[in-house]
Amino acid sequence: MSYIHVRDLEKRFVIREKRKKGALLREKKTVRALQEVSFSVEKGELLGYIGPNGAGKSTTVKILSGILTPDGGEVTVGGRVPWKERKEHVRQIGVVFGQRTQLWWDVPIRDSYDLLKDVYRIDPEDYRARLSELTEALQLGDLLRTPLRQLSLGQRMRAELCGSLLHRPELLFLDEPTIGLDAVSKLALREFLQWENKRQGTTILLTTHDMEDIVALCPRVMVLGHGRKLFDGALPDLLGRYDTVRTVTVNYEEAEATPDLPASVPVIREGKNLTISYAPREFPTAEMIARVQAAGTVRELTVQPQNIDRLVAAMYREMDL
Amino acid sequence: MRAYLSAFRMRRRLELQYRGAVLGGVICQLFFGLILVAIYRALYAGKPQDMPLSQITSYVWLQQAFFRMLLASDPELLDKIRTGSIAYDLCRPLNLYGFYYVRIVAQKMTGSLLRAAPMLVFAFLLPEGWGLMLPASFAGFAWSLAGLLLGLLCVSALENITMGFTMRTLDSRGMQALLNLLMMTLAGNILPLTLFPDSWQRVITLLPYAQLLDTPIRLYTGEYELSQAPEALLIQILWTLLLVLAGCAFWRNNQRKLIIQGG
Repeated sequence: MSYIHVRDLEKRFVIREKRKKGALLREKKTVRALQEVSFSVEKGELLGYIGPNGAGKSTTVKILSGILTPDGGEVTVGGRVPWKERKEHVRQIGVVFGQRTQLWWDVPIRDSYDLLKDVYRIDPEDYRARLSELTEALQLGDLLRTPLRQLSLGQRMRAELCGSLLHRPELLFLDEPTIGLDAVSKLALREFLQWENKRQGTTILLTTHDMEDIVALCPRVMVLGHGRKLFDGALPDLLGRYDTVRTVTVNYEEAEATPDLPASVPVIREGKNLTISYAPREFPTAEMIARVQAAGTVRELTVQPQNIDRLVAAMYREMDL
Repeated sequence: MRAYLSAFRMRRRLELQYRGAVLGGVICQLFFGLILVAIYRALYAGKPQDMPLSQITSYVWLQQAFFRMLLASDPELLDKIRTGSIAYDLCRPLNLYGFYYVRIVAQKMTGSLLRAAPMLVFAFLLPEGWGLMLPASFAGFAWSLAGLLLGLLCVSALENITMGFTMRTLDSRGMQALLNLLMMTLAGNILPLTLFPDSWQRVITLLPYAQLLDTPIRLYTGEYELSQAPEALLIQILWTLLLVLAGCAFWRNNQRKLIIQGG
């Protein structure tokens, strides 16, 4: 059986609504946060989990990490049912909730790590080795003696990640790990996750709104919306469905170069620069480039897919999310 | 076991960091101690009671010195519950009740010892009839130390139940206002329990709140004779056990129903 096995997962939340005028009691409404969600993940996979806010991503992570009991369906991680065999299960997992903190606010982060060492009963020798490995990879060396409250957001995220990986978990859940980070920190974090995944064979499940995270990290992506699984597969396959518009930008030697194109294809001319938008389904990219080149001497040429956030927005729109 | 010990040490260290708060607490408690002593002196000047005045002033000072043990919720724990950072602690291979219990004990112990030391010195220096007298006997003192430790364990168990309720209500303020009133009255902080009518005392001293400071203070002042000490401690032990067991069950139930809200 797969390492993570989820079948027909169901979770309902009861929400009490505002009391209606004249009514004695508040009405209750049941929201189906997850319905009939099934998937499986093999050991060592790096899986991205996307969907608009409120789609059920965090709910899935909470169930898989054993802190929430589902209302139906089967879940096993490494053969264990997370919420039934909680202690054995959590020993094997690491979690980073991007919005919350596990380290002590007024204490140097090293001391928080020392506590985690005792919590997970990590062998002192192994702890030293792992800590120096992680502090190097996450560039935390100088910060170990600093209290958490003095760290910047990016530094804090790195520190949290280190804390979640000290006990060498088999499985790592990352709930929006790059939220609020600057470009350098994001790149460093992604690089680190890849490194950890390769070196330790850690299975990583990542939820995010940052599509660049997915592009950089996840060969496989799962889309969730309104509590249902809508897509599960490779990112290019997903984007291919919505990748309807591309842009070619050409810079010619000659000022009057005009490629032979149907009138329906919009062309914007700025001196020697042309910007052409086309649909790759009707007009294969190779054909487009051939026609552009035939029209004159090309100095510079770029083909750009649509911005990935727009693609995802289009996808959510089409899926009615 | 190691993890719990480690958490205890960590919380103790954290409490040692807040020295400014200690100074503020000491000044405040000295003020209250002096006012209360002055009130009881006035009461005795008008109508002397059965209980010697020096016992009452000792009672007042010991209550004030260990005030922090009674009324202090760990703001970090309350915050964890409110913000949902408790999710991390739910992902640890530990008993969550125990993990928080040791933190509460560490906070109450360190916080109250830091404040008690200077206050007790001050109270000893005051003249007879104002300050703190020496313990009735050495054995009584030893019993009262044991009683104080049990009181600490008992009050921490009470506090952890309050934490359990906070997990349900998310905000502890309303409940704490009510519980604090009960605590202050029934633990003997406002009015020494020894001054309540005898018929009341028979009931009040059996309640959990009397196990916190009242019992060790009575052992100290000699109000409880040595022969009564084992029985007094037994009641403390029973209450502590009962409250810990009830708290554990309550937390287990909470954990099953708990929903960490938000993404």
